[in-house]
Amino acid sequence: MITPGSKYFFGLTGLSLIAAILYLVLVNPTDLGAVALFGLATSGALIGVMASFTRDGDVYTDEEAVAANAAAGPPSFWPIVFALGAALVLTGLATVSVVFVLGIAVLIGGGVEWSIQNWADGASSDREFNEFARARAISAIEYPGLAAVGLGVIAFFFSRVFLALSKESGTIFFIVVAAAIFVIGVLIASKSFMKGAVTVVVAVLAVVALVGVGTFAALSGERHELAIAAEEDYYDASHRECGEEESEHYDHLANNTVSLRSAVTATIFVKDGKVYAEAIGMTKKVDTITIPRSNATSVMFRNLDEEKHRLVVNLGSAKVGETGVAEKVGTCTQLTGKNQEQVMTLTIPKPATEAEPYSFTVPGATGEIKLVVP
Amino acid sequence: MSHSVSPHSSEKAMDIVNNVKSSSHRIRNSIATVIGIVALAGCATNAPQDTWQPKGDNAQVINNLQWIIFPMAGVVGVLVLGFYAYTIYKYKDRGQPIPSQSHGKPVVEIILTIIPALILTVVGVFTFRGIFELANTEDTEMVINVTGQQWWWEYDYPAQDDQGITQPIISSGQLVIPVGTKVLLRETSRDVIHSYWIPALNGKKDAVPGRINLLRLQADKPGIFAGQCTEFCGLSHANMRMEAIALSKEDFAKWVANQQKDYTSPAAGSLANEGEGVFLNQCIRCHQVNGLKKADGTPALAAPDENVYSGAAPNLSHLMSRNTFAGAKFDLLRKSCRSDVWEASSETIGAKYLAGVSESCLNATDLRAWLRNAPAMKPMYADPTKLVKSGGKYRGMPNLGLTETDIDKLVAYLLTLK
Amino acid sequence: MSTNELTLTPSQSPGLVKSPLSISPSGSLGAVRRPVNTTGWREWLFTVDHKKIGIMYGCVAFVFFIVGGVEALFIRLQLALPDGRILSADKYNQMFTMHGTTMIFLFAMPMAAAFANYFLPLQIGARDVAFPRLNALSFWLFVSGGLILNASWFLGGAADGGWFMYAPNSGPVFSPSNGVDFWVLGLQIAGIASLIGSINLIVTVLNMRAPGMTLMKMPVFTWMILVVQFLLVFSLPVITVALVLLMFQRSYGATFFDVSQGADPLLWQHLFWIFGHPEVYVLILPGFGIISEVLPTFSRKPLFGYPFVVFSGASIGLVGFGVWAHHMFASGLGPVSVAVFSMATMAIAIPTGVKIFNWILTMWGGKIWYSVAMKFAIGLVVLFTIGGLSGVTHAVAPSDTQQTDTYYIVAHFHYVLVGGMMFGLFSGFYYWWPKVFGKMLNEKLGNWNFWLMLIGMNLTFGPMHILGLQGQPRRMYIWTEARAGEGFFNFGFWNLVSSIGSFVLAVGVLFFIINVIKTARNPERAPLDPWDARTLEWLTTSPPKVYNFDRIPVVHHLDEFFHRKYVEDETTHTMTQIATCEDLMRAEEAAADTGIHLPGPSYWPLLLAIGVAVLGMGVIYGTPIMVVGALVVLFSSFGWVLEPSVPEPIDFDSPSTDGHTKEIAPLG
Repeated sequence: MITPGSKYFFGLTGLSLIAAILYLVLVNPTDLGAVALFGLATSGALIGVMASFTRDGDVYTDEEAVAANAAAGPPSFWPIVFALGAALVLTGLATVSVVFVLGIAVLIGGGVEWSIQNWADGASSDREFNEFARARAISAIEYPGLAAVGLGVIAFFFSRVFLALSKESGTIFFIVVAAAIFVIGVLIASKSFMKGAVTVVVAVLAVVALVGVGTFAALSGERHELAIAAEEDYYDASHRECGEEESEHYDHLANNTVSLRSAVTATIFVKDGKVYAEAIGMTKKVDTITIPRSNATSVMFRNLDEEKHRLVVNLGSAKVGETGVAEKVGTCTQLTGKNQEQVMTLTIPKPATEAEPYSFTVPGATGEIKLVVP
Repeated sequence: MSHSVSPHSSEKAMDIVNNVKSSSHRIRNSIATVIGIVALAGCATNAPQDTWQPKGDNAQVINNLQWIIFPMAGVVGVLVLGFYAYTIYKYKDRGQPIPSQSHGKPVVEIILTIIPALILTVVGVFTFRGIFELANTEDTEMVINVTGQQWWWEYDYPAQDDQGITQPIISSGQLVIPVGTKVLLRETSRDVIHSYWIPALNGKKDAVPGRINLLRLQADKPGIFAGQCTEFCGLSHANMRMEAIALSKEDFAKWVANQQKDYTSPAAGSLANEGEGVFLNQCIRCHQVNGLKKADGTPALAAPDENVYSGAAPNLSHLMSRNTFAGAKFDLLRKSCRSDVWEASSETIGAKYLAGVSESCLNATDLRAWLRNAPAMKPMYADPTKLVKSGGKYRGMPNLGLTETDIDKLVAYLLTLK
Repeated sequence: MSTNELTLTPSQSPGLVKSPLSISPSGSLGAVRRPVNTTGWREWLFTVDHKKIGIMYGCVAFVFFIVGGVEALFIRLQLALPDGRILSADKYNQMFTMHGTTMIFLFAMPMAAAFANYFLPLQIGARDVAFPRLNALSFWLFVSGGLILNASWFLGGAADGGWFMYAPNSGPVFSPSNGVDFWVLGLQIAGIASLIGSINLIVTVLNMRAPGMTLMKMPVFTWMILVVQFLLVFSLPVITVALVLLMFQRSYGATFFDVSQGADPLLWQHLFWIFGHPEVYVLILPGFGIISEVLPTFSRKPLFGYPFVVFSGASIGLVGFGVWAHHMFASGLGPVSVAVFSMATMAIAIPTGVKIFNWILTMWGGKIWYSVAMKFAIGLVVLFTIGGLSGVTHAVAPSDTQQTDTYYIVAHFHYVLVGGMMFGLFSGFYYWWPKVFGKMLNEKLGNWNFWLMLIGMNLTFGPMHILGLQGQPRRMYIWTEARAGEGFFNFGFWNLVSSIGSFVLAVGVLFFIINVIKTARNPERAPLDPWDARTLEWLTTSPPKVYNFDRIPVVHHLDEFFHRKYVEDETTHTMTQIATCEDLMRAEEAAADTGIHLPGPSYWPLLLAIGVAVLGMGVIYGTPIMVVGALVVLFSSFGWVLEPSVPEPIDFDSPSTDGHTKEIAPLG
């Protein structure tokens, strides 16, 4: 069962084990070194076992047939693909990492195909049979792989077009393309006989057009508003505007329903311009809410008023960095409409003091709820 | 041709004889053991966390249910197992022929299905009532916020005028409540799930981070009731304890007044004053004492959020008004003084508890050992070299490397926190 | 042969697959040629025979049983006295977590799988399960999962969050060592094993029963196993989801259970217990199935109320999915949920009670032989009744809020698991040992085994009821005098009794091991039908031939085998024996099938399991290892698919006239 090929790998295993042990004993071991050597040993063992299971990938052959076959091996483009992969890898190392990754993929794909081709060629002297054996072994990877690559290409170039066009022209483009595909499809389907070549030509033209348009779109870059959005985060806390008015970005597409109901410690309402609160376990309304320090606690805000409001929590002030200027600390919810609610989750590390009390307020309504952090 | 199948060898026959004699006794022995055990349990022990000794209304509701379901289960068990023992005795192989191959009697089956269903329905009705009774919060008279953290409990009493609490009180370890008052605990946690359980007063309720869970407590008479965290919460789960102290309404008012007293700095030049200095140097990083001021007169604010992963450490204001520390694992009182409180009658416990911890009663050994090397006393994650996963923050009190003189000063200072 | 011709002669010289190739896959793609029957260790490593797999499951499960048992003994040593110093807090937390996990996932479920694998095909008159290579994969995945789980002891500490590993304590901050990662991976792999096995057995039961065996003529053991497989199919995916979420949180920075990011810790509890509750029925129903065979056999009467037993088993399985939150009565669900689950939990006591009554009434009016197997079966009924009644006391939710997380609960589930499940398994050992190994386990040693286990078990877990009611919580590495109570019968007394009992129980298990060794050395063979049994697995040799039955039996009755031996007079109701097992076997062999095809052995399940294990380790130790594991998995899957469905012909001939069974074993 220990085939000749697997012996090399078992040898590698043995040597790397010895090396690993020596390394641990003699050298001051680092994690990386020990892991690498043991990893090498394990890989060697594993590959050796697999090699012996598959008898070195050996396909029994008829020696005569091999001899007869030796001179006339069929042509194959996989070695070229492999070489292309190697070239891409080296190029990628020198330039962009995308090329490097692409090169690795091509290398692996080409290498696998080349090996299977070689193995199948040795199965017998009959090329048809060899092709059958090759297909049997690798089709299950080839077809899905090609499909994935094809779909990836289509999706990528299609998406570049949409990222470049504005929203309106993107819609028009989509309708036009979809209509074109539909019309061509109907034409092809309605013909009772269509030469295979015609459909292939149409498909190739379509792909070429897509790739061309897509490349052009990619090179012209994304449309303006996306580019800006990527640079600034409008939902960042520093952009939060906690006043009475609607903020263009922070209140854009505000959430207005809350799915999590059971995990709030208290609910603050605003009704008829006045603020009041109820807390879990308290039977009457409360004017003070207590939140333990450093504990992530949620407070619900429900707007029962006609106008839109938001809830603001005031957490005293803090000195900002080097300038020493005291800046107000706090946060707020988005603007909420009538009978709608939002949740605010607070983790307050410092306690409230007499000098710096905490409170909840609603801009545009009267009253405040005190917030005690003991 | 008829055979009756008999055992193949005389050895097997002997085995049968032996087995038969012993097996009928076996069942009786098992049953007797079980009944005996249950009976013996009653004659124990006054274990502090006994679940069959209710000392308040809520625990009484549960106990009433226990007195329905346990005897019922016992009676059913005795009947079923008794019948079984009889069967085993009566039908052992004494040479009778192979019996008629009866496949069952559906009528018997149905009756035997209906009877348990009826019994359980009755139990179900009582259970239903009990569940809703214990979940009622409409009649709450006092609210206390309870926060669990690895491995101690924090209590804060929000201002409630009708209970005489004008400013929030913060405490830990021992929960003080007035007698005969419907207290509602609003439980949460800062880190993992804990569970608050004082068996004498009610069943347990988990303290879940991000949620508020409610638990009713009410004590009939003044007393001290033991409890323990009962949801596995990590390394020192077994050391996370608490006690509830019920005081008469007058005593409770005195306790509240004491908790709301202002902080007084120890006399200048005293050992305690130097201890205050040590405190401001070391302990203030995590522990807060309300009213304590720094040398320049500004309030000294503790910063456990910077040093402790879960963001808080016990507030030590009025430390000596409690008599446990370190998550109620250790006593502040020496053994004899502590037994005094623990075994006091309901009339005297108020005065004894309110006396707090005096110098003569202080358990200096444990307190000093704690200050010297806390992780050695209670397993915690406080080794500075192993705090990567918690971002360099402690999970528990570290070994501060205090000198013996520092400890002397600190102990003297802590004694002034009455 | 010229290069242009293709000769289509089938391979006639096995072993020399060098010359003319046929188009048939067999022998052509030599790299993935199937192994042939070999002897020795390779016979076991590459087998797909359900009987060998069953035996392997049993052996490995028993080893893990000992491991879990030793963990339990450490726990009891630590708790025997106050302020115990045997284990540190950290080690104790690891010990109880691993004890629970090992006993449930690495002992109980695989041991039930051992019985199911061995006996289910035999009981339904089949020659093997529906997917033999998948069967082997289940076993090797279980071994991988078990090894990964226990590797944690040597690689930085085992998991220490309790066997139900509540979040957020299981998160990366609160459980910083790799222990929980090993736990998560080991259980995912073992879960895949069980899931694959369950699909396999469901298909087997539904499709491969002997002619004439309707579902209501199946033995009860088969029925209970079928219900268990359905429970697994629906509950394992839920815990797999939970484990995947936890794995992503611990290893890849997800925040599924991170409260500061808005998570609710109760999500883990719900996911876990939706699996966890059906899981306990998965644990107990095989034991119920086993004693439903043992009790009738040794009472010489059929099971009382077969349809009721079957339907109550199915309804326990079904209603079992509706009671999970009774593990969460103290978690803050709200009174409405608590009330609903409390009522549902009481409801589930009813079908369980039905079974108990049926077992007792089976014995009523019988002719009872108290062999060791029978004693264990009776022990199950008694101890499960006690455990079940304590369970009813915590169906009452307010009462449960006093009992949950105390030793009272520990007592309850150990009574139903040790007294119920384990006694059922031991009953199965003694009952079926002659069939599997051809020898009878010694009855005298068996008696010592039984009595020591019974007494030990009651001494260990009986006092825990009292300890729980006296207020000792569970999962505490230490208990102190301060909470122990006064008087003689306080924590100290009961903890000590319990610890002593655990060692008595251990000695009882030791007697079983001695019995096994002694039996192995004993040359005396067992008779074909030592217990005058009732079901089809006894219509075979001991041990059964590799193809199980000489011919597939045609089934006319429930307890078919018994009906072939005995006839009941309609009027007088007396039983007359018309044939012995030996008579029946002779008839079978005379009319045996020829040309029986059996699935051949295969490498790929083993390799695939190794690949999955490496993949799992890669989650903890780095993506490169994961890639290697993934490649091995991919490679093994391909090999599995491409290997020929039939190996070289290994048909089995009928016994020749001189009485020997001839096998054509082609290669050495």
